[in-house]
Amino acid sequence: MKCYRGSTRANDGISLHVEAGEVVGLLGHNGAGKTTLINQVAGLAMPTSGTIRVSGIDPVAEPAKVRRMVSIMPQAHAPLAGVTPRQATRTLARIRGLDKQAARTRTDELIAALDIEAWADTTGEKLSGGVRRLTAFAMAAAAGPGRVVMLDEPTNDVDPVRRRLLWEQIRELANRGCAVLLVTHNVIEAERSVDRTVVMASGKVVAEGTPAQLRSRAVGEFRLELTAATDGDLPKLPDHITAAGPMMNSTRRLVVPLDSAAASPALAWAQRLRDEGHIDEFALVPVGLEDVYVQLSGDEAALEAEKGAQGEPLVA
Amino acid sequence: MNHWLRSYGLLLGWTALRSRANLVLNLVIQTCLAVGIIIGFAYLVPQVDDATALYFATGAPVLGLITVGMVIGPQEVASAKQEGIFDFNRSLPVPRTALIASDATVALLTALPGIVAALVVAALRFDLTLDISPLVIPAALLTAFTAIGLGYGIGYGMAPPVARLVSQLVVFIALMFSPITFPASRLPDWFETVHKVLPFQYMADAVRDTLNTPAGGVGLVSFAVLAAWAVVGFLVTYRMTARRP
Repeated sequence: MKCYRGSTRANDGISLHVEAGEVVGLLGHNGAGKTTLINQVAGLAMPTSGTIRVSGIDPVAEPAKVRRMVSIMPQAHAPLAGVTPRQATRTLARIRGLDKQAARTRTDELIAALDIEAWADTTGEKLSGGVRRLTAFAMAAAAGPGRVVMLDEPTNDVDPVRRRLLWEQIRELANRGCAVLLVTHNVIEAERSVDRTVVMASGKVVAEGTPAQLRSRAVGEFRLELTAATDGDLPKLPDHITAAGPMMNSTRRLVVPLDSAAASPALAWAQRLRDEGHIDEFALVPVGLEDVYVQLSGDEAALEAEKGAQGEPLVA
Repeated sequence: MNHWLRSYGLLLGWTALRSRANLVLNLVIQTCLAVGIIIGFAYLVPQVDDATALYFATGAPVLGLITVGMVIGPQEVASAKQEGIFDFNRSLPVPRTALIASDATVALLTALPGIVAALVVAALRFDLTLDISPLVIPAALLTAFTAIGLGYGIGYGMAPPVARLVSQLVVFIALMFSPITFPASRLPDWFETVHKVLPFQYMADAVRDTLNTPAGGVGLVSFAVLAAWAVVGFLVTYRMTARRP
């Protein structure tokens, strides 16, 4: 039954609530105020105004009490020089209130679940970034049930297979009655794994809801992406295909939002263009949270998301 | 109180575990430092009389403690801040005072062998007979805590690059310009006055007077001044640890 309600004006009027058993993803571009929010909730930074409650307790008035109910996995590396993942996780479990036996059991459980047994007894300086990251997660997750767990970009540096294991463990924390708030840039993963998403931009919450609710804010259901064979030679959309919203184009690339009815003719058109050599490649992808996120958080985020994955194409 | 003691115990284990890797190197360097001061200073002064020998022998462990507390200490804190370890520690569900106390305890334990090594080497080198008072234990502890507290104060109170520079300055002043290995009367008047405020002279006095008790007995002024400086250092440290930006 750990939950908190944040309504701090320090990051320009944020109001959000995380229930026990819930995983909430906090999205937003660099400098959007996500880490500050986490520090405020944990009583490490003061809000200039507003109220925060962690299970009814005010971190501004009683920071020490709140720290005992909150686990943070920081964005920076956890201090692992000279200690092994097993030692670090076990010690943190004890510091977070578990007795010796429970700490041992929980540590073994996390190490097995994250599949890092091979490095469990290797000291920190010899570990790869991904294993250090997973260890940092274990250090935050090694605690009794029913806490507030805040994870700052937990999946960075982690390989795709273990990333899935990590998401499972994040879900498991919620199942154990924790309220989980996580900061991430990985919109596609978050879409699959969180209950609710909060999008922040410039210190403000610009959207909040389940991934499905947020997706419904997007224009169209599909997105057709074309890459022209030569610069500046983008094809024109034929009359029988109607775009669901404004198209985006650069010198070589055209992105057309489409409703599902238009998907099939658009696919045929694109196939013909490629056969005729007008375009190099194309993709028809379902609109995802990332599209909404990009729309919401503006140009700065658009540039970043561009570098990341592009969803799962139907045809390429 | 129970929570405090439990936290202190666990943090002590955690800090010991993390500093274990550097422990041997730390001990070797401290021993070399202490030995080096005794042997090196004797080169500066070709004719070492008994009075000078006493200053060297009792000054060496003090310089060792100053190096551990006020040079290595602030540099470790500066690195901890830059690597995010400071922020991580701040987020732990433990009382801040337990965090500081456990760090200081580990620093103290790593500093102690250096004191012993310095004394042993001094006794061999200068053939001294000392009149050791039991007060040497509180004197050494207080000197160590003052150095550690002030070192943390420098490390936590200043930005990392500034803290590193200041710690260099401290060792320079302590080594060359402080009445630790020579009597204060050799200094110009104004500098002697400055040292009436700084902690260095009192560290040296406390350790020297308890290792070789003078006719008038051990003066307690040094203890009082050192305690005051230690409190200042730890207060700054506490304030910076508990600070919420």
